[in-house]
Amino acid sequence: MDFFVQQVVNGLTLGGVYALIALGYSLVYGVLKLLNFAHGDVYMVGAFIGFGVLTAFGGPASLAAPVPLVLLAMFVAAALGSGVLGVVIERFAYRPLRDATRIAPLITALGVSFFLQNAVLLLLGADVRTYDTSAFIPVTTAVDVGPLSISLVRILVIVAAAALMVALARLVGRTKLGRAMRAVAFDREAAQMMGVDIDRTIVATFFIGSALAGVAGVLVGLVFLQVSHLMGFIAGLKGFTAAVIGGIGSVPGAMLGGLLIGMAESFTAAYISSTFQNLIVFGILITVMLVRPVGLLGTPELNKV
Amino acid sequence: MPPIGVDEWVARSGERTEGHAGPLAPVLRRLERIPPWAWLAIAAGAAALFPLLTDSAFALRVGVNALLLAMLALGLNVVVGWAGLLDLGYIAFYGFGAYAFALVSSDQLGEDGVHLPAWISIPAIMVAAAVLGLLLGLPSRRLVGDYLAIVTLFFGQVFVELVVNLDRVRLPGADEPISLTGGPNGIPGVDPISVLGTEIITPRGYFYLLLVLTVLLMAGLHLLDRSRTGRAWRAVREDALAASFMTIPVNGVKLMAFAFGAAIAALAGSVFAAVQAGVFPQSFETPFLILIYAALILGGAGSIAGAVLGAVVVSVTLELLRDPDQASVLFYGVVLLTLVARLRPWKLLAAVLGATVALGLVTHGAAGAISPDLTAGEPALGGWTGGALDAWLVLPENAATAGNWAFVALVCGVLATTLLAPRLRPLAIVPLVYVAAFAWEARLVGQPAITRQLLLGALLVVMMTWRAHGLLGSRRVEVL
Amino acid sequence: MLELSGVGLSFGGVRAVHDLDLAVEEGEIVSLIGPNGAGKTTVFNLITGVYGPQAGDIRFAGRSIAGLPPHRIAGRGLARTFQAIRLFLNMSVKENVLAATYGNTSAQPWQSILRTPKARREERDANAVAESALGFFGQRLAGYRWDQPAYSLSYANRRRLEIARAMATEPRMLLLDEPAAGMNPHETAEIAEVIGRLRDERGYTILVIEHDMHVVEGISDRVVALDHGKAIARGSFDQVATHPAVVEAYLGRGAASTKR
Repeated sequence: MDFFVQQVVNGLTLGGVYALIALGYSLVYGVLKLLNFAHGDVYMVGAFIGFGVLTAFGGPASLAAPVPLVLLAMFVAAALGSGVLGVVIERFAYRPLRDATRIAPLITALGVSFFLQNAVLLLLGADVRTYDTSAFIPVTTAVDVGPLSISLVRILVIVAAAALMVALARLVGRTKLGRAMRAVAFDREAAQMMGVDIDRTIVATFFIGSALAGVAGVLVGLVFLQVSHLMGFIAGLKGFTAAVIGGIGSVPGAMLGGLLIGMAESFTAAYISSTFQNLIVFGILITVMLVRPVGLLGTPELNKV
Repeated sequence: MPPIGVDEWVARSGERTEGHAGPLAPVLRRLERIPPWAWLAIAAGAAALFPLLTDSAFALRVGVNALLLAMLALGLNVVVGWAGLLDLGYIAFYGFGAYAFALVSSDQLGEDGVHLPAWISIPAIMVAAAVLGLLLGLPSRRLVGDYLAIVTLFFGQVFVELVVNLDRVRLPGADEPISLTGGPNGIPGVDPISVLGTEIITPRGYFYLLLVLTVLLMAGLHLLDRSRTGRAWRAVREDALAASFMTIPVNGVKLMAFAFGAAIAALAGSVFAAVQAGVFPQSFETPFLILIYAALILGGAGSIAGAVLGAVVVSVTLELLRDPDQASVLFYGVVLLTLVARLRPWKLLAAVLGATVALGLVTHGAAGAISPDLTAGEPALGGWTGGALDAWLVLPENAATAGNWAFVALVCGVLATTLLAPRLRPLAIVPLVYVAAFAWEARLVGQPAITRQLLLGALLVVMMTWRAHGLLGSRRVEVL
Repeated sequence: MLELSGVGLSFGGVRAVHDLDLAVEEGEIVSLIGPNGAGKTTVFNLITGVYGPQAGDIRFAGRSIAGLPPHRIAGRGLARTFQAIRLFLNMSVKENVLAATYGNTSAQPWQSILRTPKARREERDANAVAESALGFFGQRLAGYRWDQPAYSLSYANRRRLEIARAMATEPRMLLLDEPAAGMNPHETAEIAEVIGRLRDERGYTILVIEHDMHVVEGISDRVVALDHGKAIARGSFDQVATHPAVVEAYLGRGAASTKR
């Protein structure tokens, strides 16, 4: 039973991270109808930025400042850095293609993703960086929930992810910017005619989505310790699988999808074998695509003839 | 932007019947009249001469790789260029063909292995790949292009994982697990292909085999393009919904494109396995997929000749990049060409070049005066060009870190320059060229593997944002 | 030839089409009129298979076509044009029309590649059909125009090409969605004439959505008026044009009593 609950916690942790990545995809897809393949690499850059901040403060074992401050700095730096990166990518790789075919920006995104991965490889080398979280957040610091003790780090991840998702939901649902995003997602031309500044809205969307991915990168570093230039690819893949499963363009959908995949991975790794994790997730994707192509919480796109 | 909604085409038809202007006009007009099959024969003939001109096994290998890439680009062209479907798992079919061929042409299966002759196994493998393509395409029925991209990308990833992990497969009734795919080490000892009784074992032999296959493929695809199937593919790409109202079964047509692409990839994969005399999972990972896409996009998606041309250019370029000397030639050559192509009139070009040279010499002089260490390094190029560069470029001995910074500065600089007003751009280009040369010599030239990947990624971005139809593709008008 | 009985369709809470009966006899030209949003294009979409009717049945040439996918319905002999022109812009004029012959040919890819007698015969026949369809428009879409890319055609020629493409499916019935939209009076008159000729020379049964009442008056054997998804009047043009419900739908309640 303990084992089971442990897997649930693992699933929630993973799910939270995937949900954050998936949210970025969903937001961007909503306003641009574009699957930003480079999103996963923006997440990877965020993880590296977090590592950089950690090192700047003296490294995991000898932090020069209180842990909460360092963590905050990591999150903020990653969010800002990834956010800016996302905005730059949009400006130079996607904006010129805004009126092109559906697949043109996708191919460009592929190119950007590949370029980013290799740029990081060039600049920072192939060595895997380790967050070595246990050096500054003792692993024994855990919260006891019943018979189970959940490590602080995982709680941090879950709480951070949940808080961000709630904040995002409020942003999209209640603020002017959120309204603008939804308007642009629904009908770009009409939104433009209603006075919505399309470019600014899109830039803001990219920033927010990428910032979320950056934070997710730091969270992953904290929990899973290892950060490498290749981590973006598979995480990105799962992130947008989560977005698609939940219903692309839908914020609650991204959360649900992320959770689903996180749980599926966690339980597969625990009860079957970790080698089959990706296969199972792929299977879920195919099943959802066949049974409910718009995603679990997605709305069908009305085809105007 | 081609004119829309105006009968300008009609107005210009006179211009067209008269032909081109300028001194090359008669030549160009003659060239236009040459039918496609004649072009193919000429190109094939020229290519056939290639192995006779060189004895280098290395050069022939490059040729073999170029032809394999050409076949893959041709297959991808059917799916992406004609039917407009973004298949990001395409290499999985290549891998499938390779592994399937390896399994039936080696000692991998059973006691002495299975050793089917190629003329039996390859068609069977192609059919199997087509079926696999159909299966993969089935979820694509209801999906828009983007969703298809994810499903196929994931499929490509899963394929490699499966292959790497299927080395301990427990068959019912067997005592021990068998290694189906050889795991991370792949399957060695794959038989060569035999044609009409002779085994092909030299690079030259495989070059000719692949040349024949490629030519046949090009001819077949050309005929297909002009047939009802080709029209249906293009109609589906243009407007799938309208196509369905015009009696075209959109889903069936898409599936057919998938199946065709898969079969072609599997064919290439089978020959690849024979050429390498083995298969290894590393050959089928995402970087190679990017390579195929780069070849197709560069050459021009939608064009048969474009796919082949792109493949040849990309293959040859990447080979050149392996050797620092040749790579440097290529690098500086491309930089110069870009400047020549983009800076008009001649005076401006000359001014920029002059300023760049001057900037370099001055900086070099100043740096040398500050400290000789700053210029102690040597450029990768040999000969007098290398010497000239040495006097022009500030290059310390171990400049890797500085090179990194220069690289970042280069990327930011290029992006920023695109934002500048055209009149100001030449001002920015001068220091940018210098920074580029520095980044190259200090860092990039020493990392050929990474540089080639960076180049491919950048190629995709630049092509799509600047000239999406590639070298030989035709410009497309899109109405969303 | 075409029969809708009790057809209904809702989008969410909105009833787009409600209990609609509509019949078109062979060789007739029937016009479908109504204010914007009345559901006319939705009816077309129902007939051609974009949506399946949630209530009622649609029968064509005696067989039900409700719920069939669009390409099947097109294969049965129903071809359509669109309110917003949907041509294959990057294909040439002739290719646009040839593409529509897909359903009436069956050469498999391998047959096309090997250029079997069957494949070649089908190509010849398809070409003949295409040329006949294009030839219907006289000099407008003739000769050198065949190789013109569709995106370079003028607006009127695009509309003509769309009709030619529909004709190439060798249909028995044409559904024309606002064929005169965006045309100047001269072109409009020409289109009206074309529609008449389509029936007289080629024997098509035609159902037209049109806003231009001159065209409707000129071509229709019968007119059906829709409003809010329901049929509100049927009959000859004069009967429908003066029907109070129709006047009210177009001009508002006050107008019905003060109409000319």
